Amino acid sequence: MKSTLLPWVIPAAALLAWALAGRLELIPAYLLPPPEDVGRAALRYVFGSPGEAPYAGRFLQDARASLVRVTCGFALAVAVGIPLGILSGRLAPVQGLLGATVNGLRAVPGISWLPLAMVWFGIGMGTTVFLVALAAFFPVYLNAAAGARRVDPLLLQAGAMMGVRRFRGTFAILLPAAMPHIVTGLRLGLGLSWAYLVLGELTGVPDGLGAVIMDARMLGRIDIIVVGMILIAVMGRGSDLLLTSSLRVCFKSARRLS
Amino acid sequence: MRPRLKAVGTPSPGAAEPLLVVRDLRKVFPVGGRFVTVLEGLSFHARRGELICILGRSGCGKSTLLKILAGFLRPSAGRVLLEGRPVGGPSPERCVVFQEDALFPWLTVGENIGFGLRVKGLDRPSRKRAVRRYLSFVGLTEFRDYLPQAISGGMKQRVSLARVLILEPRVLLMDEPFASLDAQTREEMQSLLLSLRGRLSQTVLFVTHDVNEAAVLADRILLMGKEPGFVREEIPVALPRPRAREDPAYLDLCSRLHRLVRD
Repeated sequence: MKSTLLPWVIPAAALLAWALAGRLELIPAYLLPPPEDVGRAALRYVFGSPGEAPYAGRFLQDARASLVRVTCGFALAVAVGIPLGILSGRLAPVQGLLGATVNGLRAVPGISWLPLAMVWFGIGMGTTVFLVALAAFFPVYLNAAAGARRVDPLLLQAGAMMGVRRFRGTFAILLPAAMPHIVTGLRLGLGLSWAYLVLGELTGVPDGLGAVIMDARMLGRIDIIVVGMILIAVMGRGSDLLLTSSLRVCFKSARRLS
Repeated sequence: MRPRLKAVGTPSPGAAEPLLVVRDLRKVFPVGGRFVTVLEGLSFHARRGELICILGRSGCGKSTLLKILAGFLRPSAGRVLLEGRPVGGPSPERCVVFQEDALFPWLTVGENIGFGLRVKGLDRPSRKRAVRRYLSFVGLTEFRDYLPQAISGGMKQRVSLARVLILEPRVLLMDEPFASLDAQTREEMQSLLLSLRGRLSQTVLFVTHDVNEAAVLADRILLMGKEPGFVREEIPVALPRPRAREDPAYLDLCSRLHRLVRD
């Protein structure tokens, strides 16, 4: 078997089992509609013209809203997490200052920030971006710190003897040497961003993929719930591919170390 | 402020003043509440173009000495003068070839060799020319675009050598650079080093624990004593080059060195 087929084996088997379960009436449609119904709902949701049916053609609007929230929250986490992580990985006082606090905050489940966030930022954009940024911050920060801490001192010595000063060394040696860890942190953080996006959108915002799922639950549209879940999976995977490939384009060290 | 001492014997300009002078070097490390003296009263000098081997058993402080010369460590007392000026931190005028692999794994062989020139701000065409030249010096022309992970240990040390030679350091410091290579590769690297330093008239300080290596390479051998480390004996090596490993005079030198190292 070609290895390009291998990744599709489990999804195909799951789809088959799902279809069989519907056909043999093992699972009633009000719990899990058969795949063809979900497929039809998905097509209408993505390609239908608005107004033709409930949820028809809303995908672009929802996807745009969700993407903006994920992007803002994740960007915030990266902008704060990477510099702080590098600093605390290299400078003991920064690690001393931040280490205990970050680990303490990390023990607070992200979901328990939701009530407070709603009080602070209201329903919608603010709360969602806050939750996404908060959740993505920890893996981004911790992995950047671990990467910076584990840079072989020999590489820094080698750089110093070839004339690299400290500031330049951060970009010429430290960042590329820590890149494998940084990439791991970014990917974990982006994955969490999607999870917390849905959490933020469950709270009654009018648009977004999470909002659609919640809305469909209240209307008993199981097919749309499943469509929403699948689309989040697709967009999450797509954003991960986009992240890794843009890192590869921008950084030699990301291109060559994996 | 401490008045700067005048250089010994106030050298007349143009006189054969030693390139590197190390005087009364002392290095003390704090180890678990007490102090361990690693180097004490260590003095020597090196002339321009000389290849000096620093020979000693492990633990005699020869790596510490090299780190001080490179500027990675500060001496506790004593002076290191390069062309009459005291040395400070790490600098391209005192480059090191490490024993371990210290290449940048995200850069190709060519980019690793050009790294120092890039830091210097040399323009791309001149850099490319220089890299090509040094690639051919170390026999790696076809491997320019390989990543370090894809080449052998011996080739990595060739890259390490090229990336510092390209910066034309005043002194090249080598810290047991061939110790982790197999015997045959080591001999190849020794010949390579000799031919390159002949071509570039490079001054080299070469730290080793290998008696045969010192005998093959050195113009002069500094034998280091232990606990604390100092220069116990200076042995000029007048054997003609290239040195044949079967030459009785060479074998004599080796067995003499063996005896000296053992005591």
